[in-house]
Amino acid sequence: MKTTEVILDLQAYVDSELDAARRAEVERLLNGDAEARQIADGLREVGRLVREHEPVAQVPETREFYWSQIQRRIAAAEGGGAAHKSASSALNWLRWLAPALGVAAVVVFVAMPRPGARGQEFADSTTVMYQSDADGLTIHWIE
Amino acid sequence: MNQALKPDYPSAPDERLVAWAKAGDAEAFEELVHRHRDKIYARAMIMMRNEEEAMDLSQEAWVKGWQRLVQFQGESSLATWMTRIVINLCLDQLRRHKRMRAESIEEMQEESGGVERHLPVVMVNPTERLEKEELRRRIDDALGKLTEAHRTVVILHEFEGLEYKEIAKRVGISIGTVMSRLFYARRRLAGLLQSLKRERSQ
Repeated sequence: MKTTEVILDLQAYVDSELDAARRAEVERLLNGDAEARQIADGLREVGRLVREHEPVAQVPETREFYWSQIQRRIAAAEGGGAAHKSASSALNWLRWLAPALGVAAVVVFVAMPRPGARGQEFADSTTVMYQSDADGLTIHWIE
Repeated sequence: MNQALKPDYPSAPDERLVAWAKAGDAEAFEELVHRHRDKIYARAMIMMRNEEEAMDLSQEAWVKGWQRLVQFQGESSLATWMTRIVINLCLDQLRRHKRMRAESIEEMQEESGGVERHLPVVMVNPTERLEKEELRRRIDDALGKLTEAHRTVVILHEFEGLEYKEIAKRVGISIGTVMSRLFYARRRLAGLLQSLKRERSQ
């Protein structure tokens, strides 16, 4: 009885997967060992039978129906791609738009006169302070 | 397109159809699908053993083929390239189903009785007692009796002609596991074909 290593070496030999040195070793074994030859022959025969009788199958649909389904999938994938592209383009706009809207909101909020609120313009004309006692809020707007 | 100038798709070689399809000609691509659809479907069928999944995956392969056609440089035939795509889809599907159990050599030895058990001697002469088509059908049946893990390795080795290291990479297992799975698969097939021989000679 052969060891696992020998059997797998015999298989690797049959499959031409051994380097020259291992190949020579296996050939020496095959020359003097009938059992090793039988295993190698068996492996070779099974492989040959399977390769030469590869199972075949036919698409169980008509040419037109099979293609129409592929076409539909291609159209869906391409449509999905376009939708994805426009979505990411909208996201890119939002990336810039969101901070701009935030700044605009602060400016509107600052500029809006509110009861109980006092605004102070500093000597530096680009700096504005807004303070609301009612809201407990102070905003420094520096341009 | 002017009908008079319409290319003669059925008589054009694959290379020409591929060039047209790359330029966006869907009719040229449809002709390629028609020519090779059975081979691609058969590969999906032999791997999945399920008609519905084979249909779905073979169609998905053609969709991917269309989308990636610009990457196809013609190093192999289109059919070979498409077969690779459908096999990758099948492997992904099998992984998703968690059907591909991560069998270690030890686990497989337990269930199969060890590598050392002798390989049944198989010497079937198809011209002697069996019609070629009958033998093909029986080999298909025998492949269907293997585990998916074993069958996958046999398909990649015997039909795709992949080396051990390439199979290991594609399936995500070690070369040692490829070797042992291949051996167990062959031994099982040998056993199944041996019983076929016995059955025939009775």
